[in-house]
Amino acid sequence: MEVAPLLEAGADEFFCGLTPPGWESRYGKAWANRRAPQSAGVRGVDDFARIIAQADTCPVYVALNAPYYPDGAVDMLANFGASLLDMGAAGLIVADMDLLLALAESGHGVRLHVSSLATCINAGSARFYRDLGVRRIILPRHLTLGEIEKILIPDLEFEAFLLNDGCVFEEGLCATTHAAGAFCTLDGEAAQGISPETLERYAFWKWTLNHSGCRTGNGYPMGPCGLCAIPRMLAAGIVSLKVVGREASLERKAASVRIAAQALQLAKNGAFPEKIRESVIALRGSPQMCMERHLCYYPDVWVRKRSAC
Amino acid sequence: MEYGIHVHDASPLPPDPRDACTASWRAILPSGPLRAIYFGSEFCADLLPGKAEVKRLCGHARDVGVAAVLLTPIASPGGFARIGKLLAGVAQMEEAPAVVFNDWGVGNLLRESFPHLQRRAGRLMNRGLRDPRLMEQMPENPKPAAALEGDRGQRLRALLAGFGVTALETDSDIDGNYLGNGTEGLQRVLYLPYAFAASSRNCLVKAEEAGSEDECFTKGLELSCKGSCRGRWHRVDRSDTQLPLWRAGNTVFFEVPQYRVETLIRHADRIVLHERPTP
Repeated sequence: MEVAPLLEAGADEFFCGLTPPGWESRYGKAWANRRAPQSAGVRGVDDFARIIAQADTCPVYVALNAPYYPDGAVDMLANFGASLLDMGAAGLIVADMDLLLALAESGHGVRLHVSSLATCINAGSARFYRDLGVRRIILPRHLTLGEIEKILIPDLEFEAFLLNDGCVFEEGLCATTHAAGAFCTLDGEAAQGISPETLERYAFWKWTLNHSGCRTGNGYPMGPCGLCAIPRMLAAGIVSLKVVGREASLERKAASVRIAAQALQLAKNGAFPEKIRESVIALRGSPQMCMERHLCYYPDVWVRKRSAC
Repeated sequence: MEYGIHVHDASPLPPDPRDACTASWRAILPSGPLRAIYFGSEFCADLLPGKAEVKRLCGHARDVGVAAVLLTPIASPGGFARIGKLLAGVAQMEEAPAVVFNDWGVGNLLRESFPHLQRRAGRLMNRGLRDPRLMEQMPENPKPAAALEGDRGQRLRALLAGFGVTALETDSDIDGNYLGNGTEGLQRVLYLPYAFAASSRNCLVKAEEAGSEDECFTKGLELSCKGSCRGRWHRVDRSDTQLPLWRAGNTVFFEVPQYRVETLIRHADRIVLHERPTP
């Protein structure tokens, strides 16, 4: 079980994926949420009940966030989601509009989080979802801090990505599935019409998104990171900071939560980004990756070097 | 059944709309009149036309006796502001175009601030699977009944109809039943022959303009783009699919296998033809 060590590492919210009983016999290999059920999902409702019990007062959210569902699946998932709420789930993370509407119709709007897969990236879109009665928007990865500050509106919670697992594409606008292998893996290779220099930069950026070639620094993940942006995100009103990687090992999850919790504590104590960066480098090493903004989810927390052009 | 054509400028339109396609596509498309021209962008706010260009293309549509349809993209706050400004200008025009929205914020903006503009739900409202690697492994044309029945998209379509949306537009996804059976009164519009596979703000073509590595991809998100992708599209060769793929601006498209869309074509009220993949 992962809950106890993650609580000890500093987690104060959990999210997980879960597949309804009988799903596979009806829908085959279609996923009930964005990640592979075998490698990233909770095994069943019994395990989920134990997670709820161990999490104690910390909320546990369930991702039912496939970008769309086949015929008949929405009613099945809406019923399943309602049963999870009855079991103690604090809320459901949803992307598909039909499922979101079905759950809202049955009175669960206030316990719905709009998944980053729904690509809510402006205040007008946030207002639309608020009018549907949802509680929280999970902002997609590819936003600047300046943009995030413009999206936040009153009477709605916002969550932002903090650590791990990037993607070259906008996840909600990727109409492919990881069930067939990550489509982005081959993207850009020998692309026509693009200069070799740009392709080299693209390959390097993809490498950083993939945890710098699946590396760790002193046990801490070397992937996309928004730790230094915490002070500005807290000031803007972000209520939850997302450490992703459901499919990762417990070791990696715990290390991610530890470094995130430390940065959050520093930010709450009034630390500036420079101080947080210093502490992150002390733990993770590889100062160049931080100083040159290679891992930044939100590089606009730092001033850009001026280009010669 | 009627046609629309995606245009890039006010060039003369083909006498038969199917002439916008290759011969193999012309062979499977039914005859029908041209009723609309489409322009704008669905994937990138930096590619939106200005008010003067919209006015020019609306005039072109009037001259040939068809409707003008402005495509708008999914948009970050900067893009959303730009769309709002454009719509405010467009709304004052005598010959205002219909507007396709691909962002719930833009849909809401149209409904609340520009209710007299005809609004149409664009292809990005359909988040169905379009994975070319899987599509080429599915030899069967979707069964006619499958394209019409089932509950997929039912609540979405009811919501859109309730919001006064007049049309539901999409390219071809794998399930093939997003447009429904038409009972909601929404015009069912199918884009051919390209579907999008994936899109991103981290545009490879934009990165070509960057002066340094420090202005590329995530690090360059807030930088403006000169739109040098206009008029450019390039073949993408991948070892994991035989389907023809292209990169156009920030989006990867593929040509849909014809056998996958024959049923959809029969149930579409309008087909919008794209001469080339365009973001």
